[in-house]
Amino acid sequence: MAKPNDLVQGTLDLLILKTVSLEPKHGWAIAKRIQQIPGELLQVQQGSLYPALHRLEQKAWIKARWQGNGDGKKGQILFADGGGTGTD
Amino acid sequence: MVWARRVWMQLHTLFRRNRNAQQLDDEIQFHLEQQIAENIASGMSRAEARYAAMRTFGNPTFLKEATRDTWGWTRLEEITRDVKYACRALSRAPGFTAVAVLTLALGIGANSAVFTVVNGVLLRSMPFPESDRLFLVSLTPRGGPFEWQPGVSDGDYLAFRDQDRAFEEIASFSRGTTATLTGAGDAVQIPVAYVTTEFFSLLRTSPEIGRGFLVGEGEPGNDSVAVLSDELWKVRFGSDSKILGKRIRLDDVSRTVIGVMPPGFVFPDAKAWLPLSIRIDEHNSFTRPVVGRLKTDISAQQALAELETFAEQRPLGPDENRRDRMAQIIPLKDLLVANIRPSLLVFAGAVVFVLLIACANVANLFLARAASREQELAVRSTLGASRWRLLRQLLAESTLLSLGGGGAGILLAFWGVQSLPTLAPAGKLPRMEMIRIDGWVLAFTLSLSFITAVLFGLAPALQATRRCARESLSKGGRSLITGHERIRGALTISEIALALILLTGAGLMLNSFLHLRNVNPGFSPHSIMIMTVDLPDSTYGNANQIQAFHTQTLEELSRLPGVLASGAVDWIPLGENLAMGTFQVEGGHRPRGFMVDKPCASPGYFRAMGIRLVAGREFNEHDNAAAPGVVIVSQSVAQTIWPGENPMGKRISMEDDPKPGDWLIVIGVVEDVRQKGLGKQSDPAIYQSYLQVSSPGFLRHMTFVVRTASHTESVAGGMRAVLRNVDKNQPISVASMDSLVAIATADSRFQTRLLGTFALMALALTIVGIYGVLGYSVAQRTQEIGVRMALGAQKADLLHMLMKKALVLISLGIVIGGAGALTLTRVLAKFLFEVKPSDLPTFAAVALVLSFSALTACYLPVRRAMRVDPMVALRYE
Repeated sequence: MAKPNDLVQGTLDLLILKTVSLEPKHGWAIAKRIQQIPGELLQVQQGSLYPALHRLEQKAWIKARWQGNGDGKKGQILFADGGGTGTD
Repeated sequence: MVWARRVWMQLHTLFRRNRNAQQLDDEIQFHLEQQIAENIASGMSRAEARYAAMRTFGNPTFLKEATRDTWGWTRLEEITRDVKYACRALSRAPGFTAVAVLTLALGIGANSAVFTVVNGVLLRSMPFPESDRLFLVSLTPRGGPFEWQPGVSDGDYLAFRDQDRAFEEIASFSRGTTATLTGAGDAVQIPVAYVTTEFFSLLRTSPEIGRGFLVGEGEPGNDSVAVLSDELWKVRFGSDSKILGKRIRLDDVSRTVIGVMPPGFVFPDAKAWLPLSIRIDEHNSFTRPVVGRLKTDISAQQALAELETFAEQRPLGPDENRRDRMAQIIPLKDLLVANIRPSLLVFAGAVVFVLLIACANVANLFLARAASREQELAVRSTLGASRWRLLRQLLAESTLLSLGGGGAGILLAFWGVQSLPTLAPAGKLPRMEMIRIDGWVLAFTLSLSFITAVLFGLAPALQATRRCARESLSKGGRSLITGHERIRGALTISEIALALILLTGAGLMLNSFLHLRNVNPGFSPHSIMIMTVDLPDSTYGNANQIQAFHTQTLEELSRLPGVLASGAVDWIPLGENLAMGTFQVEGGHRPRGFMVDKPCASPGYFRAMGIRLVAGREFNEHDNAAAPGVVIVSQSVAQTIWPGENPMGKRISMEDDPKPGDWLIVIGVVEDVRQKGLGKQSDPAIYQSYLQVSSPGFLRHMTFVVRTASHTESVAGGMRAVLRNVDKNQPISVASMDSLVAIATADSRFQTRLLGTFALMALALTIVGIYGVLGYSVAQRTQEIGVRMALGAQKADLLHMLMKKALVLISLGIVIGGAGALTLTRVLAKFLFEVKPSDLPTFAAVALVLSFSALTACYLPVRRAMRVDPMVALRYE
């Protein structure tokens, strides 16, 4: 049963996969990149990106790596293409 | 490989949840800061930039939770929280926890212990490769005079083997035979099995050392070989590594050891295996168990069809009826466990009742506790906890208790299984070596704990969470718990009913056991010592040699100090074996199917055994081979063959076609003896003097009987000395006749004890339960009682008021339980001796005992309540 929500989520997933397939990026950069995509495709709040990113990571469709800033405290999660086929 | 990485991810996030959460915080923080910085760069003020960033981002807390949800462990975290909370709640009520855990431990432990036995004896497969394809082939007469054993007669075996197409291999073997091992330490009797040569390969088990039997090794002249069990090799031959090729003496026959079986291989309860070749003997037909390995593409049904067709086509013997033959294909295990299965299943059923009672008790405790926690639940529900959430909370508590009970139960089961050998009749519980607590038992206990948790936890939890949101807050915790009352009533009634059923079962068994113990066996077993010999035919080849051995032994035994009388018989009553047969009557006829025991006895045997001589005389030394043949018949023979006549001087013959010299004169009549067991009918018997029996086969096995005046132990020593003196190569086994009687009643005693233990557990749990329920409901009504007393109610009125309900519950429980017992005790019918499963006195006695105990349990809290000072009661709460 496909709810409208599923459609949005699926679109967001595709956009994320497309974005990280070029090069590893962290959340902020992914958000910026998606915003630059022409058209009114994505009318979601930026924060919705994070549940989606982590869901894709759990599905092993993308990889995540912690990238510290050298001070051991601050840092970002770097997301990269999972290398999988993308099928379940 | 995506799934593998997913699993890895899941586990990874499980153990790094806290760190991941920190990183997520950082990440989102970073995102917001970047956005703010960008907003400022585009000209907003700092505050404005912040608000705008938050707007475009969304609610960070909500998004963080949504992200954490994708990690997939929120359910686990919730469960962990539930468990932590349940731990705290339970530790605040240590008394409640202890009682509940103990009760459950009793119920679960008893079940685990019984399951351990059932698992080991009935469920675990035989220790052979692909044992599920091993079946017994059985073709036996229906309802013969002997206890049913699966088997095939030798003739049928050979014929069936030749035409069979369902089995890969078929082997015949004997069980229950013994042989005397000499030359390896003291002479000793060991159980041996004669097996056809395909036996080991059929079981797919090869000897650890050496080889199994070769084809043709069973043939006479070729058969002086033996395979030893690992235990025999270790104990008797000191694990001799050069055992192969050594000669050992079994029944004084020298045999070459060709193999030693692996440890644990004892099937069928043997310590040595000897080769057997099946030959047709015109006079005797042996019936032995036959095992076959089914071909992989053949089902047991197909094999049975084949066997039935075979049975249809076999020619009938003179006395046979085709319908009397029973064709069966049975799993091999049944050879060992078929007789014990019904009683184990009864125990398993009984022990479930104990668990149900334990559950009812704990459920009652939970109800009482839920009532006092109603307010807490109401608060939680008002604050937004869903009913499911509260239910889960309560179920977490019951599961925790139940797991505690299960843990303690396993310890109990461990102890129970340890003490089983002392409780079980020696040698009567097969496959004892398979009984142990293993993974299956642990899994059983674990699942039982979970089931139990739902069983006792669900109803109280549903009840407790039903109305809390709506009503309880306003009631300030003093709710009238009518719903609880109904459930408690039902629980109490079922407890009483279950306990009554168990007690009735145990009562019937006890009654039957007492009957069995008081049965008159036809002889007086006290102060009798017995000693059995099996003379090997290599040393004692003919009847004269055997008779000389017996005569000398008897004479020396009679000279022992303290011996009042001595005698001998070939098959001792309540012993292991006997020979039954037919006979001819001079000028009369024997009713069709009337068979008798044909013991050989010595002079003095009847006096020594205390078998009453009804008429005529006993055998004496002059009834020897030179004198005319004489017999002594038992009463039922006299009454059946010569009703209303004097049997003295009548003549019978043991031969089918008697010649003039074969007739034997009746010289005496003795009482019937229960030969096959105390619970079995007395056998008619025709005794012959051992001096007049010429077939060595009937003389070899002889039991000497000595009636002692006093000290049986010193006489036993004397008996051993006599045997050593007469033939030092005979293994010595001296026992008391009382011990034979004890073995004969062992099954019944074991069943009675075990069922009695369960019934007492049930009774104790029930009484504690009733006490608790009544105590609680009386405590709830303390204020009411105070008011009534202050207003002038008499003690008798109060007693009546409080006890009335208990009486109703107890009577209902007894009526329902009685009806249940009437239906269920029928399964005991086959274990009961001279007691009907619906025995009224037992039912009445058990109901009385239970009512009395239950009433006592009720009366105690009621009396306490009535002693309460009205003023105190009024101030209560």
